[in-house]
Amino acid sequence: MARIEVKSEITGTVWQVKASPGDKVEAGDTLVVIESMKMEIPVITEDAGVVKEILVKEKDPVAEGQVVAVLEE
Amino acid sequence: MTWRAEIDEIHRRRALAEACGGPDAVAKHHAAGKLTVRERIDKLLDAGTFREVGKLAGRASYDKSGHLTAFEPAPYVMGLGKVDGRAVAVGGEDYTIRAGTGFGSDRRKGGQGGFIEDLAYEYRIPLVNLIDGTGGTVNTAKRKGYTTVPGYGLDGCERSTELLGIVPVVSAVMGTTAGGPSMRAILAHWSIMVKGTAQIFAAGPPVVERAFGDKLTKDALGGTKVAVDTAGTIDNVADDELDCLAQIRRFLSYMPANVWELTPRVATGDPAGRCEDALADIVPRGARQAYNMKKLAELVVDRDSLFEIQPTYGRAVITALARLDGYVVGIVANNPMFGGIVDYKAARKQGHFVELCDMFNVPLVFFVDVPGLMVGAQSEADAILREGVRARYIGFQVSVPVFTVIVRKCYGVAGGGTIDRSGLNFKIAWPSGNWGSLPVEGGVKAAYRREIESAENPQEREREIEAELKSLASPFRTAEAFAIEDLIDPRETRPYLAQFVEALQPRLKTQLGPKYKTGVRP
Repeated sequence: MARIEVKSEITGTVWQVKASPGDKVEAGDTLVVIESMKMEIPVITEDAGVVKEILVKEKDPVAEGQVVAVLEE
Repeated sequence: MTWRAEIDEIHRRRALAEACGGPDAVAKHHAAGKLTVRERIDKLLDAGTFREVGKLAGRASYDKSGHLTAFEPAPYVMGLGKVDGRAVAVGGEDYTIRAGTGFGSDRRKGGQGGFIEDLAYEYRIPLVNLIDGTGGTVNTAKRKGYTTVPGYGLDGCERSTELLGIVPVVSAVMGTTAGGPSMRAILAHWSIMVKGTAQIFAAGPPVVERAFGDKLTKDALGGTKVAVDTAGTIDNVADDELDCLAQIRRFLSYMPANVWELTPRVATGDPAGRCEDALADIVPRGARQAYNMKKLAELVVDRDSLFEIQPTYGRAVITALARLDGYVVGIVANNPMFGGIVDYKAARKQGHFVELCDMFNVPLVFFVDVPGLMVGAQSEADAILREGVRARYIGFQVSVPVFTVIVRKCYGVAGGGTIDRSGLNFKIAWPSGNWGSLPVEGGVKAAYRREIESAENPQEREREIEAELKSLASPFRTAEAFAIEDLIDPRETRPYLAQFVEALQPRLKTQLGPKYKTGVRP
């Protein structure tokens, strides 16, 4: 089982958590939405898999490059 | 009598040159994750096309009877080759021989001012620099017996500078470079460096430690994270050396041989009439919601043809070479995934890319979704106005046709910079498009302050004015007034653009040659 880390590409605050552990996701799905520069910016997975962990909750600050979710292939 | 003995000697010496710095030096080089310069050139070029020049150059030792006893090849390998069947001049330092430093010939083989630069210049063919040299050494003074002014003799970069107006120049940083070789890397239309094994700086860690007392690793000072992602000193990152060489081939595939030729059209097998249904829904209705602009651009251009320049720097804007019906185009697209607001890095990146496209007669397509220039104390301190206005100034000076596709927002100084005011001024919009000097939300309070403050219910009055202005902001009204040249079904974007890009090709032929621009850039 490959472990896939999904990172935020931008610094901001967690606006919404869209996925939960156990969810099956496809490439292109939004896992978390970050608010930054007054925009709602989706954190999208490039790989399909099953959500193992969501590492942030709403209103959490997020840094560029921070892992926000972990998937298992 | 024949010349077979001498001919054999030529072949023997060529074989000696093939050995680079010897098996130990080559093994050490390989162990560091690097290819030799000969392997690099071999993998860059079409198979069997490398015609090396100056292979016999080096330092030879002879015994008393004139027999060669030792030979150290010149630490620079160069010559003519082909990429996709087209001639290129290529050269690179051989790091396995005295770390790729100069070897003191009267004429340099490569680096700034070398034969390979002259070849590219005189034959008007692209130049590829595979840079892996450490540059000047204080030992030179010992050898000469005197010190020299920078740029003295063979080391000037006049030719490197001239080349930038004539032929495509690519630099690949494939080792640790400082000083002169670093400068050579920057004097290019496009540059790339290899993650982990390449670093570039003005001066390396020992000099920095002496100056400031900072102890830094090579990577912390000039690795890809600094030089590419943060500073934009180098444009693109390669995962390894093979990826680096493949990306160079890819970049060159979009380039003409020189400014007197058009970019090559390649049959991509992707029908110009392809309409992607996904484009109808790709832009969210909520103005705050980001979407994947790169994917949007990819759906419009020929399949798999989008090649991003500076993908990790100034990410609020995407700059990419691509093909439309096989014709090369330059894409500039605001990226809402990074806020879409033009900061000083995005402005710098846009200006540079637009100039690159203009130089090689690549028409431009802007996919616009820009709320404006970045505001705030930090942005002002970063010279956002100078950088933003410079990008716009460069845009006004281009001679290539520019298409503006307003996908969503087009506001302010940054929005104006996406429009071909000095050309056809051809703007097509999607139904999601909206525009103005500034977004209604921020502007109402400022413009209608007295009216709002004197109202019985100021908040309600503000909302009313906002609603009234927003109703005027429908793109249909602007299209009715022909204040936008067309409002289109987003799915038609590809065929629409493709037809115009094809039609403008004869015009591009009328503007071939070097482009001299007047004025002082802000």
